[in-house]
Amino acid sequence: MASHAPASPDPEEEELDSEIASIRAEIRKLQKHKRILTSSLLTTDPVQKLLRKPQPPTTNPTDPLTRIFPLVHAAGAHTSSNHHRIAFGATAFPFKDPSPAANGVTLLGVRIDVCTRNGRFAKPYYVILQKERSRAGPGAGGADSKVLKVYRHTVPAFISIAKLESVYLPRPGVTRDNGDGAGGGSSGEDEDTEPAKPWKKGGNSARKQDLRGFVRELRRELVAWHMRVDAVEFLREKLGLVGEGGGPLPFDVSPDRDTGIVSLAAVAIEARYVRIEWVDGRVGRFKLSNTGIVERAVVIGDQGRDKKVEDAITGGGGRVETVLDRLRAEVLSGSPGR
Amino acid sequence: MARPKTVRAPTTASLPNNLRIPSSTPSLTKSLGKLSRQALLDLAFTWLDDRNVASFPPYLQTDEDGPDDDDALPYPAGKTIEEVRQAYEDLQDRKGAKREVIERILEGDWRHGITLRQLAMADLRYMDDHPASLRWTALELSRTDTKRKNFNGLPPTDWSGSVPRMQSATFVQSLQREISPLVKAHYHLAHSATLPLTFLRIFVVDSPYQSPRQAAEIFTDSSRVIYVAFPDSCPYVYTSIATSTGSKSAPSTSSVATDTRTLQRLVRDSIPKALSRPQERFSLQATSLAAKNLPTLLALRGPGRSTASNGAFSIFADAATEGSPLDPRPSNTVSPEEHIRASHSGPTEGKENTNSPATKRRSSGIDTAPLSPDSKKRRLAIHSRFGTLGSSLAPAPLDRLDIRLLDKPGSSDEQYDDDVDDSIFTPPALSLTFSGSHVIGGIRKLAELGIVDPERMPSWMTGEEGVSVATVRLGRRLQKDI
Repeated sequence: MASHAPASPDPEEEELDSEIASIRAEIRKLQKHKRILTSSLLTTDPVQKLLRKPQPPTTNPTDPLTRIFPLVHAAGAHTSSNHHRIAFGATAFPFKDPSPAANGVTLLGVRIDVCTRNGRFAKPYYVILQKERSRAGPGAGGADSKVLKVYRHTVPAFISIAKLESVYLPRPGVTRDNGDGAGGGSSGEDEDTEPAKPWKKGGNSARKQDLRGFVRELRRELVAWHMRVDAVEFLREKLGLVGEGGGPLPFDVSPDRDTGIVSLAAVAIEARYVRIEWVDGRVGRFKLSNTGIVERAVVIGDQGRDKKVEDAITGGGGRVETVLDRLRAEVLSGSPGR
Repeated sequence: MARPKTVRAPTTASLPNNLRIPSSTPSLTKSLGKLSRQALLDLAFTWLDDRNVASFPPYLQTDEDGPDDDDALPYPAGKTIEEVRQAYEDLQDRKGAKREVIERILEGDWRHGITLRQLAMADLRYMDDHPASLRWTALELSRTDTKRKNFNGLPPTDWSGSVPRMQSATFVQSLQREISPLVKAHYHLAHSATLPLTFLRIFVVDSPYQSPRQAAEIFTDSSRVIYVAFPDSCPYVYTSIATSTGSKSAPSTSSVATDTRTLQRLVRDSIPKALSRPQERFSLQATSLAAKNLPTLLALRGPGRSTASNGAFSIFADAATEGSPLDPRPSNTVSPEEHIRASHSGPTEGKENTNSPATKRRSSGIDTAPLSPDSKKRRLAIHSRFGTLGSSLAPAPLDRLDIRLLDKPGSSDEQYDDDVDDSIFTPPALSLTFSGSHVIGGIRKLAELGIVDPERMPSWMTGEEGVSVATVRLGRRLQKDI
């Protein structure tokens, strides 16, 4: 009996349940909207200016102004930090590691914001740096100098933090075994050169850490990745390969009328390579540079390489955004040949 | 296929895709029977797809030698491929047992045998449906070559990680070149339908012949199958340790068991070599992570954000504390779930796929009920220690966590493991093994119940290191396992 009840619920009840759920969702939506509106209102210029004018009398605890004072203050602080995030893209913050082994040492967090094509911001990327007392650097500035070390980060794996770190945040004598192996490029090199040139190590440790350079290069790489992803997405939209919700279409797509392309997609998450398929079975692949230029392209059909299409993809300045236009032009000009 | 069966010469070629396993092999029914009915139907449709039908031709009437015994068989051969397709569409439309689909495949349309490739596809489909069916070990690919002379001078402009550019066909070819003198193998490479992974399924036999004379059972022996998974865009490789599964599933003679292990080791050793190119040598290194769940590996050693920030730092991986800079609301007034959901504009589909169900599940554990100040304090501490990780159903359920403690039992600052401390008398090192469906989540639960002090527990208990094997001294993981 008890098991029977949930198996076939009353249709009326079900209807009521769904109605309640939808009303709750509506309430949540409105509440959210209200909160966005209040926050926006609090950060508007007039309100903030009102606050900066002569202080309101704080003696009266029931005064509404007194009560909203911390709110307005928080909103102001939040907006200004948002302005920094939007304008500079990289902001720093302190972070306290809650682990007891960390002894309450404050870590340095760097937040990187990247704006994507749809005008939104991607999830911010974080790099948490640890200050480390540099041990016995012979050429470094004494025992007390502190060096930074990447402790945690949320950067995708195909951007090598270890490489960036070894160039911009070198630490004396640590290049060899930084544990995460991915710094193999630099560590291996030390192994090669050290026996031959012992002075090299001194020169290496004397190199200054350059946090600005580190963040700049990292951000550049992240932005480039987002640009590549956006460019591929843009091309897919132009080809009509993207559905309404941004997802792939549920049905088989018809080939693009002018170029005959049936599929265009980034090869991996890194979006460094883009793969194209034509309706006649040709497949192509091109490589995107960080600046949005098509660096190389290969198109292979049944009769081998299709050099004309390859030239069309890489030619004309090589901008990735106009690849389709060039392909169209190529098809139109070369139509008797096909 | 036209190769006469009588001529048998040892070759170094790989086992052909179209090598047929007789459909009467009983274990074939078993290995297909692992799949769900829908999966079987999907497979049949894939095999009958216009692009694939040449590789997996079904048994048609034209193939029949004589017109006899047609009625004796339960599944008359179809006249055209279209007809066969229709038969499966009918099966699709009506409900029924998966038994009938298996029988239709084995006794009907592929009665002349299931090819190795079909079997591989079925296995990979099973993997897609059950990502926790095998135990995987994460290995890191690192470059061992080093001849970049101008390294100290101008900084290189290429910051991409050491991800080998893998062209599947070339890779399989060079892998074949590496292992063919020692092992006969069948390779199947496919991109996972659900995860951002490329699977390589290697089936190994220790026979030099093109069509091995062993019993057909050998082709379905799971201990002879090695899986290697290459996650997209990151320098990691996952392998299945088939030794553990092999010992369970194959209680065969010991010589065979040791043999498959050797074959597996050979294959494993040759993977980095096959990925390497001149001037670009790779080697595989252990990353002290093994787990049953592929999403776990993807979260901890994958291309995404959470690879290098776990435990307390998972709030950064999920961007759970701060929103987009366009959000006018102060960040402390917005719940973490909303942050996670709001900033979902992950730039790629692959990442989206891994993240969206994860975040949904992650956020479900963060609820705010009215609490006493004491438990509120504990809750805050738990949140700060575990971040978003381990709340109810985290995306990275570790099924096993091996910890070796190297602390002297007398040292005063190691009081966090009360239940363990009284068992220590003399041993200088102490090993702890946690196992279960979700170890970190369990520790979090313990902390929520007040059994574990969330403020004083060491960080390895929060999953911060993202490992399944660790050596710990004074609450810190030692980088090199001793």
